[in-house]
Amino acid sequence: MILKTFLIFLVGLLGYSEWLLGTSYLQRPIILGPLVGLVLGDLQNGIIMGATLELAMIGAVSVGAYDPPDLVSGSIIGISLAIETHAAPAAALTLGIPIAAIMQALGLATGQPLMLAFIHRCDNAAEKGNTRALTRNMLIAGYIQDWPGIVFIPLAFYFGSSTVAKLLNIIPAFIQEGMNVAAGLLPLLGFAMLAQMMMNKKVVPFFFLGFFLVAYAGISTTGVAIFAVIMAAIMYVFFDNSKETENTGKNEVVQEGDGFDEF
Amino acid sequence: MDSMNFNIKPTYDKKINKSDLVKLFWRSIPYEHSWNYERMGNVGFAWAIMPILKKLYPKKENFVHALKRNLELYNMTPYIVTLPLGISVAMEEANATNPEFDESSISAVKLALMGPLSGIGDSFFWGTLRVLATGIGTTLALKGSILGPILFFLVFNIPHYILRYYGTFLGYSLGSNVINNVESSGVMDKITKYASMIGMMVVGAMTQEMVNVKFITKIGVGKSASTVQSLLDGIFPGIATLALFGVTYWMLKKKLNPLMIMLIILLVSIAATYFKILGA
Repeated sequence: MILKTFLIFLVGLLGYSEWLLGTSYLQRPIILGPLVGLVLGDLQNGIIMGATLELAMIGAVSVGAYDPPDLVSGSIIGISLAIETHAAPAAALTLGIPIAAIMQALGLATGQPLMLAFIHRCDNAAEKGNTRALTRNMLIAGYIQDWPGIVFIPLAFYFGSSTVAKLLNIIPAFIQEGMNVAAGLLPLLGFAMLAQMMMNKKVVPFFFLGFFLVAYAGISTTGVAIFAVIMAAIMYVFFDNSKETENTGKNEVVQEGDGFDEF
Repeated sequence: MDSMNFNIKPTYDKKINKSDLVKLFWRSIPYEHSWNYERMGNVGFAWAIMPILKKLYPKKENFVHALKRNLELYNMTPYIVTLPLGISVAMEEANATNPEFDESSISAVKLALMGPLSGIGDSFFWGTLRVLATGIGTTLALKGSILGPILFFLVFNIPHYILRYYGTFLGYSLGSNVINNVESSGVMDKITKYASMIGMMVVGAMTQEMVNVKFITKIGVGKSASTVQSLLDGIFPGIATLALFGVTYWMLKKKLNPLMIMLIILLVSIAATYFKILGA
């Protein structure tokens, strides 16, 4: 159990290294899920639960000033406790989403101010031309903002599973079944957020094209993506009039910016 | 103008050489680690360019001055931050070698790139590439295949690192002219146009494929009984999903907080299960 807790802690640390490692989406549930599964000896469920959470949280990306729920603690705690208690994949959602929201709030309230202290130490280091001190404070600043998650993940895993197992037994069946239904509906929110960000009159038909290609022809998303790329290439080669001045593109960018102010 | 479009093989005729730029690429990777609410990506930007400043400004006071100048507010899509970094390097180099150079133009160009470049970067990486990666990855992962997470990671990161790497050299060679060139040739608008087209199609496809709505209420008795779901599918497949998508989209449009919408979805799901309207 100690070893498992330590490994879970390492997975958490990797998740919070997301921004140190090029913002490569290591912190997404679809990546953290299998890692948690691997630690707990249930890779299969880790993959499935990771994908379930990924879909539910597809809108949770930090772009612009929107600060999303803390995916790392939400995914790791949700998935590890769901696997430990042999619950259905939807249980990872039930457990993970509230944790992600709480950890985000805690990070904003305590992690960010702490981080700013170290950002200011970077300024002092620059003033003295001390590059090593600047590097050191840069590294600390990035991790200290996530201290709630780094501390809470191993604790919740170590003390949590028995408590969670009892809780899951108390919860009535229709609520657990309802969470399964919710797991099917929650991606709607993410897709609507994505669509709202990209939507303008010109691209609306393409949303429906993609939708009905799947509804009627049963093509998978990957298939639709391939056709979309081919179609864009054909349109570019045969129909694109480069002489025409395109002002719409700039408007699109502006609209996207506006979309984020809403959060 | 034609001759200098998208030249990613820069000439090194002053102080900066290729290995400096390769190092700049590597140091761009932790760019967002120190992202903060005060000056956003400022420390990340300064940390990446720091060794080059040290090389360009051997005098300590000049180095400190340049470093502090690079600690001002900056924000950029992390995947293409090498482009403004490369441009900055070209301009810092000009500044260090030519005493006539107007230093304030470095910050001006850097800041001017923030809006347009981040706009295109966010929509391409967030709206198109990530949606593609998620679409391919989750389809496989929901079936329990390890290929799901692996493909998710590769589909996103192979183009990401290729663009990040070549962005360094493109930025350096085009210097301050880059945005004028790209904007006047309409390349930026075109990329945005086609990328959002592909992105929308994939979002539409994923909405139908990944969202699971199932009405289990039965109508009629005995053998002739059919579910509401099969009646709805008779109108056109996916009608229930599309209607619920419309409602969610409308709630977002009405400026409802996404967290609130999430709560509504949870409560509606549980209530509909209790009354045996929806099933998993």
